[in-house]
Amino acid sequence: MSDSMQDPVISRVRETLRSESATRPDPVAVARTLQTVWAAPRPVWWRRALDAWRMPALSGLATSAVAAAALLVGFVTRGAVQTRDALDPVAAAGPATEEFPVQFASYEGEETARIATQFVFEHATAQSVSVVGDFNAWEADALPLTRLPNGLWTVTVPLPPGRHVYAYVIDGTLVVADPRAPKAGDADYGREGSVVMVFAR
Amino acid sequence: MNRHRVLFVALVLASVSVAPALRAQGTPVLGIADARAREAVEREIARAADRGLPTRSLIAKAQEGVTKRAAGERIRAAVASQARRLEQARDLLAPSPSEAELVAGADALAVGVPAPMLRQIRAAYPAGQSVAMPLDVLTELIARGVPATHALEQITDLMKRGASSAQIAGIGASVQSDIAAGLTPDAALEVRARGVMSLLPSPAAASALAPSGRRP
Repeated sequence: MSDSMQDPVISRVRETLRSESATRPDPVAVARTLQTVWAAPRPVWWRRALDAWRMPALSGLATSAVAAAALLVGFVTRGAVQTRDALDPVAAAGPATEEFPVQFASYEGEETARIATQFVFEHATAQSVSVVGDFNAWEADALPLTRLPNGLWTVTVPLPPGRHVYAYVIDGTLVVADPRAPKAGDADYGREGSVVMVFAR
Repeated sequence: MNRHRVLFVALVLASVSVAPALRAQGTPVLGIADARAREAVEREIARAADRGLPTRSLIAKAQEGVTKRAAGERIRAAVASQARRLEQARDLLAPSPSEAELVAGADALAVGVPAPMLRQIRAAYPAGQSVAMPLDVLTELIARGVPATHALEQITDLMKRGASSAQIAGIGASVQSDIAAGLTPDAALEVRARGVMSLLPSPAAASALAPSGRRP
């Protein structure tokens, strides 16, 4: 027998606990306790959701395994996910704003080089103008132009070298070609666009 | 940190990691209002992906239709046409065209560049050197009204003489301006190509450089 079993204090505590566990619970006290619990305000929905989430505790090994699996899934799938930024580097650069209407080109080598290309459109009454093209996957709201006091609208965006077909979207709905640029036919949708040749000068 | 917290963090991490991947496995969300048309377009894109074609160009083609307020069926047909052009370009620009080359090839076919010309453009540069820009310029010249055979001849001559992508692109842009100023397309190309040729090494020197696969 160990020393702790012979300790008189421990022995007294053990005896007390044994005697209390043998006694029957007081029904009045139980009822009062239950009433108090029911009368207490219910937790908010998110708290209940968190409570519902609780489940039997996993062993440390199982918890670690779940965490490791999550990390593995994240690592394996990271390359499979194409973010909007990856799909559309121009949009990733962010639309022009009042404060910064010009998006400057970045030069990172021939394959990824971007050439600053300015778009200018004249429309005195438009509320908004944006440029759409193969360079921003024709997203109507990705590249808004900034209005100048003289009725011109402009934005400068970094584009990869090559031939790009584009158009302007006026007030979010009307798609028009650039009157200042050569026209591009559109066999697929029958709506003429414009062409810009982008290259390093 | 107790086990519940570790488990919670793990679950959050897993959901954050997996959700975008699942979304990427399905076809991207397209802004086509008609659900049936959208599904048809998504099927077209998925089929193209199964054939190993790049899908960015197809997604852009679908979105172009949305922006131009085309009907769902028309968008589906446009995406299917673009997929066919990409596939054709892949065969013509073999053995290993980049995505940019495939898209340039598909655009060329869409504008009406004769298919065999893609092979001839590919053959004019050493393997591994991108022909995306020469294809773009050929497309633009033909779109502006330069006879296809003349455009091909000038572009391939420039390529074989070692003209850089920028020089070839410059010709495309200059010809655009010249035509707008009143020159005939043929004459504009002739004079601009001559100007670039004068800057290039002689044919003998160019052929001596060719085996090294000089990059522009």
